[in-house]
Amino acid sequence: MVNGAPPPRAAKAFPFDYDLHDFPNGLRLVTIPTEYPNVVALYIVVQAGSRNEVEPGKSGFAHLFEHMMFRGTKQFPPARYEDVLKQAGAASNAYTSDDLTVYHTTFSKDDFDTIVMMEADRFQNLDYTEAAFRTETLAVLGEYNKNSASPPVKLNEVLRDTAFDKHTYKHTTMGFLKDIEDMPNQYAYSRLFYQRFYRPEYTVIVVAGDITKERSRATVEKYWGKWQRGDYRPVIPTEPPPAGGPRANHVNWPTRTMPWINIAYRAPAYTDTEIDSAALDLLAYIAFSETSDLYQKLVIKEQKVDAFGAGNPDHVDPYLFRIEARLKNPAEMDAVRDEILATVNAFRENKVAAEKLEAVKRHLRYRFALSLNSSEAVAAVAARYCSLRRTPETINRLYDLYARVTPDDIRNAARKYLVDQGRTIVTLTSGGAK
Amino acid sequence: MKLRLLFAAIVMITTLHAASGISTIALPGASPLVTIRVVFLTGSASDPADKLGAASLTAAMVARGGTRTMTYQQILDAMFPMAVSVGAQVDKQMVVFSATTHVDNLEAFYKIFRDMLLDPGWRQNDFERLRDDAVNYLRVSLRGNNDEELGKEVLYNEIYAGHPYGHNNAGTVAALKSMTVEDLKRFYFTRFTQKNLVLGVAGGYPRNFLVRMQADFAKLPNTAPPALELPAPERNEAPRMVMVEKDTRAVAYSLGFPIDVKRGHPDYPALLVAQSYLGQHRMSGGRLYERMRQVRGLNYGDYAYIEYFPRGMFQFEPDPNLARSQQIFQIWIRPVDPATAHFALRLALYEFDKLVREGMDQESFERTRNFVMKYAKLLTKTKSAELGYAIDSRFYRIPEYVSYLEAGLQKLTREDVNRAIRKHLGGGNFTIAAVAKNCASLKDRILQEAPSPMTYNSPKPTELLEEDKAVSAWKIGLKPENVRIIDVEKVFE
Repeated sequence: MVNGAPPPRAAKAFPFDYDLHDFPNGLRLVTIPTEYPNVVALYIVVQAGSRNEVEPGKSGFAHLFEHMMFRGTKQFPPARYEDVLKQAGAASNAYTSDDLTVYHTTFSKDDFDTIVMMEADRFQNLDYTEAAFRTETLAVLGEYNKNSASPPVKLNEVLRDTAFDKHTYKHTTMGFLKDIEDMPNQYAYSRLFYQRFYRPEYTVIVVAGDITKERSRATVEKYWGKWQRGDYRPVIPTEPPPAGGPRANHVNWPTRTMPWINIAYRAPAYTDTEIDSAALDLLAYIAFSETSDLYQKLVIKEQKVDAFGAGNPDHVDPYLFRIEARLKNPAEMDAVRDEILATVNAFRENKVAAEKLEAVKRHLRYRFALSLNSSEAVAAVAARYCSLRRTPETINRLYDLYARVTPDDIRNAARKYLVDQGRTIVTLTSGGAK
Repeated sequence: MKLRLLFAAIVMITTLHAASGISTIALPGASPLVTIRVVFLTGSASDPADKLGAASLTAAMVARGGTRTMTYQQILDAMFPMAVSVGAQVDKQMVVFSATTHVDNLEAFYKIFRDMLLDPGWRQNDFERLRDDAVNYLRVSLRGNNDEELGKEVLYNEIYAGHPYGHNNAGTVAALKSMTVEDLKRFYFTRFTQKNLVLGVAGGYPRNFLVRMQADFAKLPNTAPPALELPAPERNEAPRMVMVEKDTRAVAYSLGFPIDVKRGHPDYPALLVAQSYLGQHRMSGGRLYERMRQVRGLNYGDYAYIEYFPRGMFQFEPDPNLARSQQIFQIWIRPVDPATAHFALRLALYEFDKLVREGMDQESFERTRNFVMKYAKLLTKTKSAELGYAIDSRFYRIPEYVSYLEAGLQKLTREDVNRAIRKHLGGGNFTIAAVAKNCASLKDRILQEAPSPMTYNSPKPTELLEEDKAVSAWKIGLKPENVRIIDVEKVFE
């Protein structure tokens, strides 16, 4: 394998000759040697995110916990942890989403042992005081504050709250403000969260870069091999099938901004075996991407809309197919909504042209190949898919599935999922105006 | 192993000057991805005084408009199956058009790309769409939705008032509204010329590709663009503050002052170490981050800069091709609760003052220097970034960035850094930009030097509480005549 990706149509979508290794405690290691010299990217995936926040009043905890992971252990208090990262010249950070929390560090291969050892320590021996916990909850509130000036963030919060009744996707990863404000009082729960989810059976370690599988296995075995398996299994509430007709909500934004419309449909969970979800992925591009007829009409010709797109984001449980538009004039809200709904309807009625479908398939293959442009990028992509199926092989299965989607599949998926019964519309306008 | 050695051997910067004299930087390699960066050494600093935003809108017309033979929609349709798009970035002295394509599609992509740059369509409906985008960027994306970037951009405008850098790269709303396609054509034909062009290509492109590109771009006018006069910005004699009144939950601050140091200056490596120590961007190891967020929970993070770094809330590494002849030193305080806003500003100034007075100790110096040396290599992890840095090095007249930095850092001593801190940061009176609700109240507290005691939700060590007393009494030294409040609706108008 030479550096980067082979011609997209010739081979596997994820072209790397990776090594997948399971340790007896349930920990999985994915090692992806690449031809990018010197650098190693270490991505540690915990298959727990805001989806796992099942208790009332605890929204935002997975994300808070991501912050707590930087609060140190006995061996590596925060200042010492930072010293080691600095010595390594490492770029380090973390993020949390609905289904996963990822801790990532990129550094020179010479520092591999040190970083793996230090990461193993915080995953197994995290130790923080209640005082440190209470201080960190304020940083989370600070994060909420810095996000709060953004209308799409608020729109996302209201859309989920409106579209879901039971499932934890009802709340965002950031969590409800009232829960964030109560976080300082939840020290005990934070320890419980760690006990439950920071366990080998919830974790996949992804290593990509200038590394051999032998070195990777031996180093991870040395520092992570004695980590104890847990026994907690959350009961994630199942969202009942949509009932009671379409839903709607509206956000009044306090300052001057441009109006937004979000139209969402209840969609299937991520799968690399069933055609419907793949068909919806492709439909999002055919119907709403920059080469779609609707984009051409609303953005280029009539210029009523300046930001427009749709997607069927991958989730462990059934989530939402979302269409978003930012409008230039609030008076055109209903007209734009009707255009979008008419387009959705047309996909339920008619079959797409074969050449349009082929163009989207090519686009996806090339887009994916172009994204694999550094060891860090390779690890980041693999980590995302490992949160869904614990193996990068799911990428190859998914792209094989895309290749098999037919115009009939797309119409069937639209008829099954893009239905009024499962629809939620949320609009946002500056205060007063609708 | 052999393969890797071979790969390393062919990855070297080659600089070619074709007969036409077009400056070219090439990073050939084995990757199937090909990156192109076309840079014009012009930008918003060259906007005509009554056409602020001309550089950005011209670049938008090239990258997001049609060509003479293809409409923009036809371009989108053609590029879609290749998953390629052309990015345009405009700063004060650089305009860059960039794209990365799979080598399978290079030929088809390049034909369109070439026409976009060399034969733009100048259609009125593209112009109207892109002008709307620019106005909405200023009014909505920046002013409405992103208090942090708003604070940073207001800071730059304030420091460079009356200077060619003194307006947002996107322009002003009034100037954009008075702009015509003819204005942009004039900018294009006088500023996008061979004389200030740098072509950059990286990856597994075919042998003859460079020569072909040089021949194509030789069709651009070969005239010298008007010279850019950049007066030295004035330093404040006393601290100044500009406050943006906005209905918002928190207070966003950015503060800074001009410095003489840029890449190539003998003190650049020293000041880079100082900046990293005080506040490495989006990392948890900086002094400001530790004292403000980690210990006190004041906000989400606090960082320091010696080079322009836009969009920092969205990315960890800076974009290349934002090279400037003049830079500022900057501190970024992420949004703080209004109740602790006065204290947070004092604490940042207190820490800054401490750095200037005491400098760095030997251990911090060694650790930070080591970090900067290793971290620099991560900045060029993609071919596109490597190419971008190579072009910037051409601008600053320095060798390849990582080796330039390594050479400078290796001979650096703690004394060098502390001397550079005193020389370039000492005595610097900040300009402070704040985006807040009820600015008048915060302004009064700051002017009166009122106490700003801190309370915490958990017990704190005695030393910290003692330090808080000193911080709470810290004099910012702002005079009423040096503070002004502007309504958010008037910014960038």
